Amino acid sequence: MLRGLAGDGAAHGEMLSSMSRYLRGYFSRRLGAGAADLEDLVQDTLLAIHLKREAYDPAQPFTPWAYAVARYKLIDHFRRTGARPTSPLEDAGELFAVETAEEGAVRRDLSKLLGTLPERQRQVMIDVKLTGHTVEEAAQRSGMSISAVKVSIHRGLKALAKRVSDEDR
Amino acid sequence: MKTDELIALMSTDVAPVSAGAVGRRMASASLAAAGLALMVLMVWLGLRHDLMGAMHTGPFWMKAGYTIGLTVGGLMLVERLARPGTAPGSGLWVLAAAFMGVTTLGAINLALSAPRQWAAAWLGDSWTVCPFRILIISAPAFAAIIWGLKRFAPTRLALTGAAAGLLAGGIGATIYGLHCNESTAAFVATWYTLGIAACAGIGALLGPRLLRW
Repeated sequence: MLRGLAGDGAAHGEMLSSMSRYLRGYFSRRLGAGAADLEDLVQDTLLAIHLKREAYDPAQPFTPWAYAVARYKLIDHFRRTGARPTSPLEDAGELFAVETAEEGAVRRDLSKLLGTLPERQRQVMIDVKLTGHTVEEAAQRSGMSISAVKVSIHRGLKALAKRVSDEDR
Repeated sequence: MKTDELIALMSTDVAPVSAGAVGRRMASASLAAAGLALMVLMVWLGLRHDLMGAMHTGPFWMKAGYTIGLTVGGLMLVERLARPGTAPGSGLWVLAAAFMGVTTLGAINLALSAPRQWAAAWLGDSWTVCPFRILIISAPAFAAIIWGLKRFAPTRLALTGAAAGLLAGGIGATIYGLHCNESTAAFVATWYTLGIAACAGIGALLGPRLLRW
């Protein structure tokens, strides 16, 4: 986390991906394994850890901070969905036939969300995300400067986070 | 979008952030809040006519000391509460000390004066309007504080809203002190406190609505 705060992208990515494993465990213990919203919550929380990293105090241990974010997202989720999900006994069969929540089988279609972004933002996000170009390549393809690409991605992420939370309201 | 892709996306864009970001931003939000409050005061009520003279007197600084103390305490609270999973911390002690100070002073003053002057010392000339004026002057200040907080991640929204209201109230009351010519600690301890507490109460009500992220 500390190296990520200093601007080291690789370290930041490592931190996020190890957090994603912990978070998946944390949420699945509380929602039940294979819950449909599991991966959404993991993504929401990772996005919050990323966008709100200024609110982390380096003098404090990181893990409690990250779990406080996760807990906030979980409570928010319960509030939106009306407390814990319950289902009548007759439908209990469905509970066992839960789709195998393969990682990434997300209810919310983020590619559709991506479609709502302005063209420039979407294009660089797709370049960097889907086709695995580096930022430099994406910059060349779109004719923007490298820092403009980074700014686009940053704004795109923020806009996505906002859309996601608007959609859930 | 798969989670790994999201992570890859987020790690392409890692602007460095510094440790004191919360404190700095909240301090500048407080300055903006003070500016807004001062604008409202100038347009609405104006400064007290004898401001230059009053600045050489004790009561003026007693008032300012109290409200600035509450402002500092509120700022310390907000700076902590803006972070997930953090306890309110020592700001509470600053608030308590400021309040104890002004009530003790007020009690001593009353004890030293004759009982028939008590009502005048306690109610002054403006007790009916003072808390409302503080509330109104603090409203734009509150907006500025909330604007500053939106960037961060409070997890206890009502408590954070109350702290933000208190901070805005402290700033608003400090600014209102430039107009108000009451001079007794008993007055300040009661009516200023009431106005600031109302700000904190409204902040607690609005916090969960305004501060969600």
